[in-house]
Amino acid sequence: MLKTQDLGYWYQDKTQPLFQGINLTFESGKSYAILGHSGTGKTTFLSLIAGLDKPKEGDILLGDQSLKQIGLTNYRRHDVAIVFQAYNLFAYMSPMNNLLTAMAITEAKHAGDRAYAKQILNDLGIGDDLIDRNVQHLSGGQQQRVAIARTMCCDARLVVADEPTGNLDEDNTKAVIDQFQRIAHEQNKCVIIVTHEPDVAAQCDHQYRLENKQFTELA
Amino acid sequence: MNFFKRAWLNIWAKKGRSILLILVSSAILMFVLAGLLIRSAAVKATETAKNDAGATMTLSANRQAAFKKMSQSSSSSSSKTSRPKLTLTPVKLSDATKIAKLSNIKNYNVTSSTSANAKSYDTVSTTTGMGGNSGGPGGMKSSTSSGDTQIDGVTATSLTTTFSDSQSKITKGRGITASDKNTNNVVIEKELASQNNLTVGDTMTFKETSGDKNTVKVKIVGIYKASSTSSASAGPMSTDPSNTIYASYTLANTIKGSKYAGTADSVTFNVTNPAKVSATKKAGNKLISSKYSLSTDDASYQSVKASMDNVEGFANKIVWLVAIAGTIILALIVILMIRERRFEIGVLLSLGEARWKIVAQFFTEMLMVIVVAIAIAGAGGKFVGNQLGSQLVSQSTTTQTTTSTTSGQPGGGQPGGTKGSGGPGNMQATSTKTKDPNLEIAVSAVDLAELGGFGLAITFLSIMIASGGILRLEPKKVLFS
Repeated sequence: MLKTQDLGYWYQDKTQPLFQGINLTFESGKSYAILGHSGTGKTTFLSLIAGLDKPKEGDILLGDQSLKQIGLTNYRRHDVAIVFQAYNLFAYMSPMNNLLTAMAITEAKHAGDRAYAKQILNDLGIGDDLIDRNVQHLSGGQQQRVAIARTMCCDARLVVADEPTGNLDEDNTKAVIDQFQRIAHEQNKCVIIVTHEPDVAAQCDHQYRLENKQFTELA
Repeated sequence: MNFFKRAWLNIWAKKGRSILLILVSSAILMFVLAGLLIRSAAVKATETAKNDAGATMTLSANRQAAFKKMSQSSSSSSSKTSRPKLTLTPVKLSDATKIAKLSNIKNYNVTSSTSANAKSYDTVSTTTGMGGNSGGPGGMKSSTSSGDTQIDGVTATSLTTTFSDSQSKITKGRGITASDKNTNNVVIEKELASQNNLTVGDTMTFKETSGDKNTVKVKIVGIYKASSTSSASAGPMSTDPSNTIYASYTLANTIKGSKYAGTADSVTFNVTNPAKVSATKKAGNKLISSKYSLSTDDASYQSVKASMDNVEGFANKIVWLVAIAGTIILALIVILMIRERRFEIGVLLSLGEARWKIVAQFFTEMLMVIVVAIAIAGAGGKFVGNQLGSQLVSQSTTTQTTTSTTSGQPGGGQPGGTKGSGGPGNMQATSTKTKDPNLEIAVSAVDLAELGGFGLAITFLSIMIASGGILRLEPKKVLFS
């Protein structure tokens, strides 16, 4: 589904790349974890496959089409959904409006369908009493679940998450990872999670470690 | 158009911030509206001044030419005993009629003044006056004897500045009108009437001062009250102002003598558009001989116009300064607002929202604020405009305008049919009474539309200035920082 071809990235100095010559394949219906220490470039890699930045060398293909051809804005709108560590919800909206807004922007097939959005929120444990409350009044775990719900309501085939459990306790972490697994297996989406927690990574179908500018698949 | 909904949700969720923005915008727009209102009121006042203050053009004998002729004849004369005589040619009404046909002439007033001696009544005696001697407009009295009663012959009293400026007012009966032509109807002063127990419908007689000294019987059709200031131009030799009688110019001509038939001391033309008085004078001069001269008086109009031009200029500056300052202030506020909302912008970009739609969302939010601000400014702008306008007008009208209306006419008549003064050859300078320009500040639909235009422009510019940040924003830096 998603392929990287000789992918490389550096900030200032080309001679000191974060990673170089990366060739990975990510498939639908599977979850992937990318592990690594701080500063190794795993979030930068995520920003590239999320279409938030352009590679310095190499290419990223969705199917057999380069992201350059698709256009990053188009790609973000239709093909990828992102979950952030800091949730990054629209602070002035309710969970319901967060979902409806995302569905409208991404031109999802259920755009404007409140019942569909409500169902997703309910499935993720956001009850009726919470769906019209301002998101700032929700707990961290609830906000992260709303962020996940936002990715589920859109039609994106690829879901990328940057440290999605970084701010959550053990119970919420488990619930969130379970949810990502369901997205991958039940909705046949490709889920890529960047994390520094081995326990979280262990629950994913595949684990890669970014180390010394190269990705290594863990057994 | 999801950005409309987002804009509304944001405005509604952040009520405190929205109210503050509305207040700031209202203050800016209130001053813009005040400027617009003052400007339009100044334009309107200038237009009104054209009608109210008006301008006049006076046809009278050319005294300069007469003096020249007199001095030429005195230098060529061998006899030292014969004194040179100033001969002024009375204005022919046929010439006046030609000028009256010019397009910019609204109406005209024929003035012919003389004096007579009281017979059936007693004149009002004044403590300061030396009595008995007065001159008519245009200095035409230089060749006639003076009586104790001043007779001002006019086409209509309402056309004289004395009455139109309310220096004199009809208190009983009516004034002289064009229909009084060739009649012996007169209007007398209230004091003269009460001293002699005369009222409307009574008759009175006076005696001509020259020729056969015939007795003339006249009928009183109206009584007027002269204000105390009407005697301001009276010199030591002048009669009490209460002894001035208004009549048709035909009666004045009859008293002066048969050779004065169909003539006038002066003819005052009221000009429709004061701005074109010079062109009208030029056209008029082509219709008359050098024996006559045309003088203009648009001092009232020019005075009002000058002060209104000042007000209008200042109002324009207010509008532009406030608009520019407002744009800068709002732009700074929006820039700060955008900085604190960069995460939201980042999330929108990560969802694939187009940057122009994010700019449109901010524009819509500001538009909602501006619409409310326009309503508030519309309500408060009139008050601010009134305060500012009256302050501006009082500052711009403190200068008194004094004008000389005697161009080329030493001792000449006073345009507008004002009462004659002084003796022969008297140089007369008059202080023209100018009406205080009054700004009528009112909020019209046009003003609100113009304010809306300014509001839109300010919003658009401030958002455009601030949106540089949105266009340059890199979502990766914001979202993964």
